[in-house]
Amino acid sequence: MKIDCPFAVEILTAFIREELSKFGYNKGILGLSGGLDSTVCAFLAGRALGPENVIGLIMPYGKSSAEDVRDAIQAAERMKIRHEVIDIAPMVDAYFERYPSDSRVRRGNKMARERMSILYDFSAREKALILGTSNKSELLIGYGTIHGDLASAINPMGDLYKTQVRQLAAYLKVPLKIRRKVPSAGLWKGQTDEGEIGLTYAELDEILFHLVDERESREELLARGYAKDKIEKILGMIKNSEFKRKLPPIPKISARTIGHDFLYPYDWDR
Amino acid sequence: MKIALAQISPRLGNIQKNLELHLETIEKARRQKVRLLVFPELSLTGYLLKDLVETVALDGRTSPVFKTLRAQSRDLSLVVGFVEEKPKNKGLFYNSAAFLDKGRVLHIHRKVFLPTSGMFEEGRFFAAGRNFRTFEAPGGNTGLLICRDFLHYAASYLLFAGGSEILIVISAAPGRGLAGKAGFATSRMWELMGEAISRFSSAFVIYCNRVGLEDGIVFAGGSFIFDPFGRRLAQARYFEKDLVVYDLDLGEIRKARKNWPWKRDDKPEVILESLRRIVRDYED
Repeated sequence: MKIDCPFAVEILTAFIREELSKFGYNKGILGLSGGLDSTVCAFLAGRALGPENVIGLIMPYGKSSAEDVRDAIQAAERMKIRHEVIDIAPMVDAYFERYPSDSRVRRGNKMARERMSILYDFSAREKALILGTSNKSELLIGYGTIHGDLASAINPMGDLYKTQVRQLAAYLKVPLKIRRKVPSAGLWKGQTDEGEIGLTYAELDEILFHLVDERESREELLARGYAKDKIEKILGMIKNSEFKRKLPPIPKISARTIGHDFLYPYDWDR
Repeated sequence: MKIALAQISPRLGNIQKNLELHLETIEKARRQKVRLLVFPELSLTGYLLKDLVETVALDGRTSPVFKTLRAQSRDLSLVVGFVEEKPKNKGLFYNSAAFLDKGRVLHIHRKVFLPTSGMFEEGRFFAAGRNFRTFEAPGGNTGLLICRDFLHYAASYLLFAGGSEILIVISAAPGRGLAGKAGFATSRMWELMGEAISRFSSAFVIYCNRVGLEDGIVFAGGSFIFDPFGRRLAQARYFEKDLVVYDLDLGEIRKARKNWPWKRDDKPEVILESLRRIVRDYED
C-alpha cells in the first residue's frame, strides 16, 4: 500500500501533461471542494501544467459549507492557481422548486451533476480539459455520482487508493488542515464517507488491496482475519457499481459494434 | 435415441442458480423420455465471465455440483459446459464440456480454439485444450466440440477420423449482422457448417447454442440437428429459449456410410504424413 511518492508524482504529472497536449490543450480545470482528493489533484495539475494553467472551480451550495470554501480558496491561493467561486443554489433550487424532494440522495446527486454541468461549460469557455478527482477506493465501491463527480476527461488518481492519496498529500505538502479533514462527499450536512460506507478508509483500502491488486478470494481474506460481514459488504459494493465504471451497454446487432468489436485507442494518432 | 437441446439463458457468474436451471431442464427432458440432453457452452456459468472465470472454476471429477449432475445422469446422459480447473493444473482455467452418463464423467473436452479477436477475448482468460478425443457413448462413438472448435473444420475431421458417428457441439455463439430475414447473418454460418460436416462425415451433428443477452452481446440460439445425409432434422428458435426434442434414428449412420463411402475411403495416414511435411516446411 505504501507508494514511492516522487515516482508516482512524476508519472501522474507526465500523464496529465501528455494527455492534455495530445488533445491540443494546455489548461486543466477541476472542481475544488476543499477536501483531500481535489486538492491533491490540483497540486498535481499545478506541477504538470504550471499553476497559471490550472483553474479551480469552487461550487458550494449556498452557505452550507463555508469552511470548506475558505479552505479551498486558501489552498488555491497557496498553489497560485486561478479559482472562482460559483454558488449552485440558484440552479439547484430552481429545479427543486418545480420538482420538490426531501431525499438527500436525490438532492445531493443533483448538486453533483450541477457542478459537472458547470465544469463542462467552463471547459469549453476556458479551453481547459476536466481533471477527474476520483480515487481508486471510491471508484471500486461506486462511491460517486454517475455523470456527476465521476464525469471527467481524464482521471489522474483513479489507480490510487485513498490511503495512497493521503501519502501523496503529505509529500506534496497539502495544507495540514485539509489533510486532517474527515473525508466527505459533501452532498449533505454532516455526511462523512466512512459513516456512509460503514468502514474506515484504512479497513476498506486494505481489504480492497487484497481483493483487487492481489486477486485474493474471500476465503483468503477470512484467513487473514478480516470480518466476514465487512468482506461481503465490500464485495457487494464492487459488484453493484460496475455500471458506474463502464459505458452503457449497446446491444450488438450489426457486424461491427461500438464497444464490442469497434476498438480503437483513446490516444489514436495523438 | 431421443435427444434434447436445452437452449437456455444461464445467469452470469452464478453456479447455484444455473445448477437449479439445469435440474429443472433435466426434469422436463426426463418427463419426455429423453436419453441425451445437451446444454450449451459454459451452461453452468454464463459466457462473458472475464475476471469471474476463477471464481466459478470447478473440478469436473470432485465438485459437489458435478456430484449432483452425475447423480442425475443415471437414466439420461448429459452434456454440460463449465469452467474447469484441474487439481494437477492449478491456476489454469479451461472452457470445458463434460459428457456424463450412468453416474460417471465419461469424457471431458477442453476447448482448443479460443476466439481472441474482435469482440472475443477468451485467450485472455482461458487456457487452451490440446486434444480432440472420441469416446464410446450410449448412442455410439461420439466427439465433443465447443463453439469455435467447430468452425475450424480440421477439428471435426479429427473426430471423424477417430470414428465418431455423433458430433456434439456446444456453443455460446453471439449473433452478428442482420441478415434481412429471421435470425442473424452468423447463424447461417453455423448452419452451413452443420450441413457440410454432417454430410461429409456421414455423422449426426448436434449443435446446442444458448440465448439471452450479456452486456449487450446477443446469443443467437438456433440450435440444430443434422443427420448423416446432411438433412436438417430439427431447429430451435432464434434468440428465444427453447427445448428441442428429437428422436434420432441411429440406423441412418449405416445407411449413409453405405451410400456415401467418405469414411471407407478416408486416408488418415496420407493426411498425417502430408501434415508432417507441411508443418516441417513451415516458414514464418
